[in-house]
Amino acid sequence: MGKKKRGHPDVEELLARPWCYYCERDFEDLKLLISHQKAKHFKCDRCGKRLNTAGGLSVHMNQVHKESLDKVENALPNRQGLDIEIFGMEGVPDDIVQQHNQRIITNFYTAQAERHAATGNPPPGQAGGQGPAKKIKIETPEELKKRLADHRAKVAAIKANGGVLPVPVVAPKAQPASVSPVTGQSPAQGASPLPPPQPGFPYPPPVGVPGTFPPPGQPGVVGAYPPVYPPPGATPTPPGAPGGPGFNLPARPTGGALPQRPPYYNNYNGGAVPPPGAYPGGASTVDELVSGAARQGGGAQGDEIDQLIRAAEQGSKPPARAGEDSAGGEKKGKSKDKNMRMVYGDSEVSPEEKMALLPRYAVSAA
Amino acid sequence: MAPSTQFEVSQPPSDAISAVIFAPDNTNRLLVSSWDRNVYLYEIAEGTEDATLINKFEHRAPVLDVCFGANGNEAYTASLDCSVKRIDLATGEQTVLSTHEKPVRCVVYSPQHSMLISASWDHTLHVHNTSAPASTPITISLPGKPHALAASPSKVVVAMTARLVHIYDLPTLATALSSADPASANITPWQQRESSLKFLTRAVACMPNDAGYATSSIEGRVAVEWFEDTAESQARKYAFKCHRQTAPEEEGGGDVVYPVNALTFHPVYGTFASGGGDGTVALWDAEAKRRMRQYQKFPDSVAALAFSNNGKYLAIGVCRGFETDMEDFNSEGRTKVFIRELGETEAKGKGPK
Repeated sequence: MGKKKRGHPDVEELLARPWCYYCERDFEDLKLLISHQKAKHFKCDRCGKRLNTAGGLSVHMNQVHKESLDKVENALPNRQGLDIEIFGMEGVPDDIVQQHNQRIITNFYTAQAERHAATGNPPPGQAGGQGPAKKIKIETPEELKKRLADHRAKVAAIKANGGVLPVPVVAPKAQPASVSPVTGQSPAQGASPLPPPQPGFPYPPPVGVPGTFPPPGQPGVVGAYPPVYPPPGATPTPPGAPGGPGFNLPARPTGGALPQRPPYYNNYNGGAVPPPGAYPGGASTVDELVSGAARQGGGAQGDEIDQLIRAAEQGSKPPARAGEDSAGGEKKGKSKDKNMRMVYGDSEVSPEEKMALLPRYAVSAA
Repeated sequence: MAPSTQFEVSQPPSDAISAVIFAPDNTNRLLVSSWDRNVYLYEIAEGTEDATLINKFEHRAPVLDVCFGANGNEAYTASLDCSVKRIDLATGEQTVLSTHEKPVRCVVYSPQHSMLISASWDHTLHVHNTSAPASTPITISLPGKPHALAASPSKVVVAMTARLVHIYDLPTLATALSSADPASANITPWQQRESSLKFLTRAVACMPNDAGYATSSIEGRVAVEWFEDTAESQARKYAFKCHRQTAPEEEGGGDVVYPVNALTFHPVYGTFASGGGDGTVALWDAEAKRRMRQYQKFPDSVAALAFSNNGKYLAIGVCRGFETDMEDFNSEGRTKVFIRELGETEAKGKGPK
């Protein structure tokens, strides 16, 4: 994988971070988020019991303390409602998810631009003549903004056209082949043709196989087409990224990057990475990137929440136990090995005998 | 919660402490022997938090051990000048009971048999009949250098180098002592054991109920054993690690192991306290095999411990501990005696589980 930029996570990494619906804080992993929610938002202020959801807390307050819960504690003013059942990232409304992701992206690029301005470093990908490997890079803010503008114009065009897609308006650079069919069925956020990702469930492998690869530009089969853009959290250097030098769509299947993907995704099986196939035709714009990210969290249904809670709890317990075990093992190992220092180590002569030899304790003649 | 307070004796010895002990008939009276060649007699003033220095008895050499005799006015000392002395605490009169060929390490008094036993680095025990002070003591030669000595109502346990432990039967010794020719009496140990601990024994203490004893070693470990020589009783013996600290990782990690310098049984509850070079005192329940409590760390190594006759007080002698290669050993200004007044049930064990 590409070299990590120290201290500055990729936008995909930022988008992949679970965050709290109630206070917009983001967390390293889902476990932390859930414990945050239990401690900050779902904790009973009467007895300190930590519930899993606002609904659970409400029921608890009703039954145990004969009180009614009117709002979620420590929540942002417009997020205090009890009507939405939130557990971790589950249950967050799509529009909220989009808002959040938009904010993350904006912040990210603002921060990145500031960094570049402050350090004087060129943006990644424009470092200048550093070999072919360096060429495949994520887009620069300029490129992204340009594409965003393109997309906006396109959407406007669609609207102006009465919802019907006009003749391709996007510059040929931005892969017209795959964009057009997508925009036809998009922006249907949350309407993924594939089932929502289940936590801990292995994702289906990418459907695109080099041998059966359809000729590019054929509408209709695009659903089986691997995304041009990786989903959030995926590789930061998608091969043949649009705008990248030497972008060539038909060359991709033989580019070598695609067949290698399944093992790559396997590494993320437990994580919140959506299946590659979840974005038919590939997300070619930031908006679609955002909506794709939204599917991560928005896919699960409310009635599955109990199951999810159980799964999350199960998922969070074994690692903790394993940690304890390993710590215990370490301790045992420590006591077994001779890594100890005795303050007094002479097993033949007692400290008193040694002290008796010191001049200060010599028997006085008197 | 019953009150439990702890205070520091205002006039402590000026050098390292070798032993502390309470009087058999007076809860408030205690003796402290020190390397500064003195034996200190303190009395805890009732109702106040101090022990006043009543008297101090100077010796020619550092005093390695002290014990009370038949009552609170009589004490015996073991000194580096090879002599075993009786001190009349009221008059301050000192009489030499016997002289060993080498420094005397320990003395122990058996009130049941009016016997004083001293152990010396000359590989002998001297058994004195204190009711006849002029009589010659019996000399028992030992296979190793004795380092710790303790008496129960009927036994005396001697721990020596090379992990040797001999247990003598006190009535047998008493019979030999009262026989016509004590010097020629052939005394054999009641039991000879190998210490359960792999390292040099540091302290021995006997259970007040005469059932067994505990030993401790320089390697942060305490063993509890029973006198009864049956398979079941011997199967009950155990040892455990204590008085250790985990060394910081930057120093290579692992454990820093301190010697367990002192052991003493609670006269009423039969639980025992251990004091170590790490400056901590822990209370153990020998039956339940549990640590009952560990007291707050003392500023220096715990050298000696003693419960008072009714178990109300625990005296803790704290001074700089001698560690490997300490040529400049000096405990001046670092010697303290703490007295802890125990709560009603502070030292009461919960019994076996």
